[in-house]
Order: sequence, then C-alpha cells, then structure tokens
Amino acid sequence: MLELEKLHEAVIEGDWKTAAAVTRIAIAAGVAPLTIVSGFLVPAMDEVGRRFDCEEYFVPEMLLSARAMKASMEIVRPLLTATGAEPVGRIVIGTVKGDLHDIGKNLVSSMLEGGGFEVIDLGADVAPERFVEAATVHKANLVALSALLTVTMPWMKTTIDAFQDAGIREKVKIMVGGAPITQQYADAIGADGYGESAGSAVALARKLAAV
Amino acid sequence: MRTALNHREPDRIPLDFGSTTVTGIHVTCVAALRDYYGLPRRPVKVHEPVQMLGLVEDDLRAAMGLDVTGVFPRKVKFGVPAADWKEWNFRGLNVLVPGEFRTRTEPNGDILIYPQGDETAPPSARMPAGSAFFDSIIRQPEIDETKLDPADNLEEFGPISEEDLDHIDRSARAASTSGYGVAAGFGGTGFGDIANVPAPGLKNPKGIRDVTEWYISTRTRRGYIHHIFERQCEIGIENLARIHARIGDRVDCIYVCGTDFGTQTSAFCSVATFRELWFPYYKRVNDWVHKNTTWKCFKHSCGSVERFFESFIEAGFDIINPVQCSAAGMDPAALKRKYGSRLVFWGGGVDTQKTLPFGTPEEVREEVLRRCEIFAAGGGFVFNSIHNLQAGTPVENIAAMLDAVHEFNGVSHA
Repeated sequence: MLELEKLHEAVIEGDWKTAAAVTRIAIAAGVAPLTIVSGFLVPAMDEVGRRFDCEEYFVPEMLLSARAMKASMEIVRPLLTATGAEPVGRIVIGTVKGDLHDIGKNLVSSMLEGGGFEVIDLGADVAPERFVEAATVHKANLVALSALLTVTMPWMKTTIDAFQDAGIREKVKIMVGGAPITQQYADAIGADGYGESAGSAVALARKLAAV
Repeated sequence: MRTALNHREPDRIPLDFGSTTVTGIHVTCVAALRDYYGLPRRPVKVHEPVQMLGLVEDDLRAAMGLDVTGVFPRKVKFGVPAADWKEWNFRGLNVLVPGEFRTRTEPNGDILIYPQGDETAPPSARMPAGSAFFDSIIRQPEIDETKLDPADNLEEFGPISEEDLDHIDRSARAASTSGYGVAAGFGGTGFGDIANVPAPGLKNPKGIRDVTEWYISTRTRRGYIHHIFERQCEIGIENLARIHARIGDRVDCIYVCGTDFGTQTSAFCSVATFRELWFPYYKRVNDWVHKNTTWKCFKHSCGSVERFFESFIEAGFDIINPVQCSAAGMDPAALKRKYGSRLVFWGGGVDTQKTLPFGTPEEVREEVLRRCEIFAAGGGFVFNSIHNLQAGTPVENIAAMLDAVHEFNGVSHA
C-alpha cells in the first residue's frame, strides 16, 4: 500500500507523472481498479476540494490536481468498465448554449470525476437538445449546467424545459452553477440544486444522487 | 472627477461610462440609449470588438450626464486599426466596425473573426450563435518544456510605433480639451491578463497560450512567467516614457492592468503568490508613473479581491475597478471604511449580474442610491456599474440607474 499512498500524495500535489506511474504499478501488482478509485483518488480529490474551500488551494492548484487525477483515471477507467463496476452516479455536464466559458465547468467536472462519478462532459456552448440526448443515451441520473454570462443564463431554463418537453425531467436531477447564478435563480428556473463552488458541487451531486 | 480622484468630496459624484474597456457599454445598449434619449439614429462604432463595446460619443455622453472620456490604443484587440469604419450587420443591428475587421459566419450561426484581418490565418475568436461577445479560440502549439522561450510570450509586447504615438497624441489632445476627465488605456502593462494570454491579435501565437496551461504555469513555470513579466515591464515603462514625452499630463489616469485576481467566491491565487509574482512589476510601473507624471494608476480586477487591496495600495495603485460588491468579502460599506481614503472606487455603483439586467427600475434606483450613500462621502468615488453594461440590459434600467445618480447629485439631466 506504500506505493498507493504516493498516488494520494501525487494527486494532492498535482504531480500527474507520478500519479500515472504509481497507478500503472498498482494495476500491474493486481490492485483492484475500484480500490484505486474509491480508496485513493476519491479521498485525494476530497482533500483537494477541502483545501480549495478553505483557500489553501486556488485555481492553479486545483487544475494541477485535476490533471493528476485524470492521468490516473485514464488508466483505471477502461478496467473499471470491464469489471462492470457501477459509478456513484452518471452526470452529464456542460456550459449552456452561447457560452464558451469552461474553466469553472472543467473544475467541477474534474471534482465530480474525482468524487467517483462517471462524467459525460459535453464541453461549452451546448444546446439543450444535446443535454437531453446525452442524458438519455448515457442513462444519466444527474445533469450539471454552467453559465458565466448574464446573456446565457436563460439557456439554463430553456435546457430544463427541454428535459420536461422530452418527458424525462423526473429521471434526472439538474444542478446549476456559475458566477452570476444564485440559489434564488436556481429555484426560480426549477433546478434541483445550486452549487456555489467546485467543492460544494460534489457535495450537492452526492446529495442529489442520494449517495 | 479630478477632485474625486484626489479624495476630496466633489459637488457631485462623477460618472463614467465608456472611457475604458472595462467601464463600457455593449453596442446594443449604446444604440438603445441613443434611441431612449432621442439622439440621431446612426450606426454605433464598435470600438472594442471582443466585448462588442459601443463608442459613447459626445452627444450621448452629454445626454447621460457623464464626466469622463477615453483615450484608446490605435489598434483593437484583434490587431486591426480602429479606423476606416465600415457597416456590419450584427444580429440585425447595423453597426460600424474597423475596416479590417473580417469575419466568417459558420452554418450554425457562430461568427469567427480573423487576427489582423487576415483570412488566411486561423480565426482567433468565436462568437457563438446566441451570444453577444467574442471569446478567444485557443491556439496552443504543442509544448516542449526544453524549448519554451519567454520571447514567444512577448510577441505582442514591443516598442511603441511612431504611428501609435501619433494616434495617442491626437486622442489625448482632443480629450484634454473636451472638458471631461480623461482615462487612458495604452496597453502593454497588463501582466498575465487572461483575456489577452490567447493573443487574439496574433496570427500564430507561440509560447503558453492556453488558459488552463497559463494558470498552471503560474504555479509550475514561475521562472518562465517572471521572465515574461520582467521584459514586459521594461518595455512597458519605456513605452510609457515615450508616451508621456508626447502627451505630458493631458490624461488624468491610465489603465495599467486588467488581470483578474478574484472569482465570485474566492481568488485566483494567494496573497503570497500575488506578492511574489505580480507585485514587483506593478510597483515598478506605478512608481515610474508617480515619479514622472501626474497620472493616477487604475487597476481592474473582478471578483473577491479585498485580500489584495493592501498590496494594491502598496504597489502604487490609486484606483480600483469594478468593485464587485456581489463577490465574497466585498461589502461596500466595509470596503469604503477600510480603504476609502487610500483607494478610489471606480465602480461598485450597481450589480450587473442581477439587479441591472433582471431587476425592476425601482430596484435599480434603490440599489444605486444606497451605493452612492456609501461611496460618495469624502470623494474617492467615480460612479460606474460593476463592469461593462452587458447585452440584454433593459434600457429603462440603465436610465433608472443614471437618473438615480443624478437624483443623488441633486441635478436633472436629459
């Protein structure tokens, strides 16, 4: 387990090369992929989120840790899929139509992936019908919408309405976030939750997914 | 405005809209305001095409009751001169854009724009269908750590040309005789401004140009960033000296840097990182300005940035904008109490994320009056909304905002 402790440390320190190397060694040594994720990556990203929330970490450190986590996850993910292990939830995420800002969305996406969720990241400038289609195809139970601009915020409601129109609104929980978004706005457009920060988004997703 | 900048209480709060690229008005709102005030209908010039800011001309400035005018660089951010204006249909609104402003509309309605108007170069920015602003297209060459050269990130920073100097000279002379206060943006001293890192004005940017990679570099390639800032600082000060030799003290303040250090709830870096990586360069620029000119130094940073204010002051910044009161730890009364005698608040007048675009005119009025009450005492306040007036803002709300400032000032306008 000594080597795997290094994985925990590498993710927290944002050292993607070590994270990938330790993951390969662990896999070769027969460590179960699920153990790597739930035993090391998830706790490490929880710690990264905690440091971000208490302002020991800022955006650059978060991005580095996310990169390290992803380097490990890229090795583990195909093996996880092969074992048929179920993620804690499947979440479709994207920045809404007309909005190309994705730094915040990417951080949330990484934190969710590091939190044990299967994340289907649709990128930025995502039309409502693409969210609906992805949620349907991937059988997602969660949808996360991001917006930075006041001019694109209304697309959040349009997207939620699209789920209603497609008859699958009850099958997914929809969470929203982004600089101009507030709890009040989330309530007004019928979202199921609002996350103020990347760290709180993970806690919210866990709550909504009833994990 | 000068009285306010010197922390003395003026007879009325000075107002700015349009003197800088962070205190501006979206072109659609400029057109709406011209209609609202019954001014002659004509296509509005888009003088800052990234954010699609419309030029506030003298007739609108007078109708709105504004007190500040601007001096802008010769070229816009896409590397084309703000000249030879031509008409352009922007989503049904006829506007004027620079002659070398060249775009292509994709089948899905997205608009792509070319750097330096060169249609053979890869486009440098995209305006998605349904959006009202351009965002840079990231053109990040593959990074070979062994070959990274800070000079690659300095391509856009060079000695100012005679042509640029002539333009600034002409603009400053006109502005200084206009009777308004003058804010100037010369460019070149924005250290790591994330809006400029992707270099929307360059045809084939080299170095670190990806936004994520840049943020990561402030942690992992700090020597490289220092090297860029060091050289940029030298060039910037040399350019300021040449500009000052031409225009003297015809401008009141200069826009030094727009790098955002705050997010809605936190910061992009710690105070310790700020002091190590940015502070020395800001201090050198501001010290030069204060030693050699009468200009005040203007710093823009969105978000939750109160933690940096002592360092901003120590680095020589005189003015802070946009004073995002909606961000964490940015309570206006607390800011005024703690920093009001040392920093000019140029902004903070009304929230542009919620109240102004989505509130009622009465809600706008109430918020503006409250903010004026807080910020006006003792001077040190130039009224501006929190950042540019965004597309989609109801013109009635903009008028309610202006009316409230005039109401507070005890004067009537329009």
